[in-house]
Amino acid sequence: MRKFLAVVKHEYKKVVLKWSFLIGTLLLPFLAACFAVVPAVIFSIKGEPTRIAIVDPTGKIGNRIKENLSSERMMQRAKKAADDSFKNMDAPQDERIKQSSEQFVDSFVFVDYAADPNKTAGLRQDLSDKILNGEIEAYLIVPTDIYAPGATFEFRSRKAGDFISDTFKDAVNNAVRSQRLADANISEQRLDELSEDVILDAKGVNERGEEKDTSGVMVASFIIGLMIYITLAIYGQAIMGAVVEEKETRIAEILFSSARPFELMLGKLVGVGLAGLTQLAIWIGTAAILIGFLAVSFGGDEIVESLPTISPLMVVYFLIFFLLGFFIYASIFALIGAMVTTVQEGGQFAFPPIMILLIGFYLSFAVIRDPNSTLSFWASIAPFFAPITMPVRILAETPPFWHIALSILINLVAIVGLVWLTSRVYRIGMLMYGKRASLPEVWKWIRQR
Amino acid sequence: MTDTDVTLRVDGVTKRFGEFTAVDDLSFNVRAGRVFGFLGPNGAGKTTTIRMIVGITAPDEGRIEYNLDACRKDITSDTTTPSGEAAATPPQTRTGVGMSSKLQDRIGYLPEERGLYKKMKIVDQLRYFAALKDVPTAEADKRIDFWLERMNLTEWKKKKTTDLSKGMQQKVQFITAVLHDPDLLILDEPFSGLDPVNVEFMIDVLREFKTQDKTIIFSTHLMETAERLCSDILLINKAKKVISGSLREVKESFGKNLIALRLTGGDGILADRSLVLRTIDHADQTEVHLVDAADPQVLLKRLIDSGASISKFEKIEPSLNDIFIAAVN
Repeated sequence: MRKFLAVVKHEYKKVVLKWSFLIGTLLLPFLAACFAVVPAVIFSIKGEPTRIAIVDPTGKIGNRIKENLSSERMMQRAKKAADDSFKNMDAPQDERIKQSSEQFVDSFVFVDYAADPNKTAGLRQDLSDKILNGEIEAYLIVPTDIYAPGATFEFRSRKAGDFISDTFKDAVNNAVRSQRLADANISEQRLDELSEDVILDAKGVNERGEEKDTSGVMVASFIIGLMIYITLAIYGQAIMGAVVEEKETRIAEILFSSARPFELMLGKLVGVGLAGLTQLAIWIGTAAILIGFLAVSFGGDEIVESLPTISPLMVVYFLIFFLLGFFIYASIFALIGAMVTTVQEGGQFAFPPIMILLIGFYLSFAVIRDPNSTLSFWASIAPFFAPITMPVRILAETPPFWHIALSILINLVAIVGLVWLTSRVYRIGMLMYGKRASLPEVWKWIRQR
Repeated sequence: MTDTDVTLRVDGVTKRFGEFTAVDDLSFNVRAGRVFGFLGPNGAGKTTTIRMIVGITAPDEGRIEYNLDACRKDITSDTTTPSGEAAATPPQTRTGVGMSSKLQDRIGYLPEERGLYKKMKIVDQLRYFAALKDVPTAEADKRIDFWLERMNLTEWKKKKTTDLSKGMQQKVQFITAVLHDPDLLILDEPFSGLDPVNVEFMIDVLREFKTQDKTIIFSTHLMETAERLCSDILLINKAKKVISGSLREVKESFGKNLIALRLTGGDGILADRSLVLRTIDHADQTEVHLVDAADPQVLLKRLIDSGASISKFEKIEPSLNDIFIAAVN
């Protein structure tokens, strides 16, 4: 037991007293925040405004389009799009891109262009020349008769971004619609009244029928899922690196002549696991202090209210599931480390467990969307996935206790099996230098007395 | 030799890896307070045997018996070393993995292929290895200081492995094997990679150990070093024992009719198998091993008669190197 504790202490200090631990502790929350914020920031960066010439033989549509593309209107649209994309974190990828691109459309500057409406052919040539000369980036030719069947608006632009979103199309559509309504003798004021947006008060309902703010929960669940995923991947690979180092430098031989391989392996898992817990504790503590600070200094009842309620019990659950995940993935990575001869080789073998982790991370989106579905149930009790999906599910909507208990039990059984398997491979693999073990060889090691 | 003098008894030990037999029915005794030379060519099964002795792997057949108190006969049992607790225990036998932790704590092992944690301070590594051998922290710190001083490495105490030269790393590795003051020290090729000055230095350290009545098992390719250090010899080849005994016995049993010769001409005479058993060529001389019944005088006479010019003709003892080469071929 004393030797086991010596190994735990050694492995713990080895991780915690390194610079990378401090940097990781500081950097990871920052990275997670970036994950949530950076796309929005990037999309909100405006390029140069598009200089556009509008040729309008009708003399009516052009002004309406200008109005619809005015910077105030554009701002409104962008804001709405940003809100939507934040609420629909789990929306399909293409939809999210579209939503984000709404914010992405550049503003327009209108270049006066007096054209001879009769010379249509020369007109296009002239406008194209202007684009080539860099005087304008785009032009729009409004048809002479907007009521004519097949009347076509010609829009040419050098900027691909203009085509991605529906902004421009919507502006033209709205302009024509308003013109038609105006032609039908409906006044501008009446028109505004008629086209007023409805107010959609969207709120989720929890299992007790109480209202809850879902957007905060979704963001929090997403961040929790991401943090667990990243932490497991990093610590798993750290374990693999440590195992390979002891094998590569032949320290294993000295270690094995001093303590039992099982003690050494388990001590390594526990030591690094405690280091991971330390890091989580730092994060949770900092987050709690930060939120408290924000709430006090901004008098922000709103901030506090929009945050999902995280009870101490939830924190305990997170820690339990983190540990379950840690022991599952750490033992897999330790097994790989004992099989291979270099870290590089281990990197190739690390792909399957990372893949499984990633699937767990993606499953957590399904869990966020509907925490009570059958899929969510199975995903959150399945070994390998549960360490990510269950905490997400608990945060999104805490399931009945027996789900949690079952999940813990199933994953504990998986851990016992994996640790046993790993210890069988470890005691022999660590002394096999020179070449990577094949799977049949590993199978032989497992069965060897 | 009485039973109590035997520190380690290896009895009919066999180890197989699949179809390959690495160690085949090997038996030998290691006597207390002696330096035991474990010799053999590459792939003979030395490292496999040593791994079984230190409890890293288990023999498939046979048994290994330890009587580490044999080498403590002059030391009272109230010593402060950790091994003192187990001083009165009877010989411990082992046939499978699961050698007791107490027993492992009394054995020091320097593997042939060895290393250190690259990015860790020397003192931290040594503390860890001491803790794994159950040495109390305060005692470990005292011994670390002592050994670093002894190895002229004190100023490197707080440095990382990567800052040390290869030779210095070797010395640190040696310290890991002796920090817990083992009764039985097993060194697998301890001098490989050391420069001659450091080899001499390490030989001195080992001699000191010998005077403390500790038992040393030491495997090497360097026959000259083995000859200087070892009191007993075991030579194995292709998994089997070839020669064993004290250095004196081994040399005597190998043959007395050995002559160092430097000459020009006389080739035909040396090829006469009724007189000459074998010849071993060296850079500046030839060692001639005569058949047991032959008289060196007869050889000398025939060489002179043949008109060969002889600048050296000396009756010598076989070197361990000769014995090694002869036994392996």
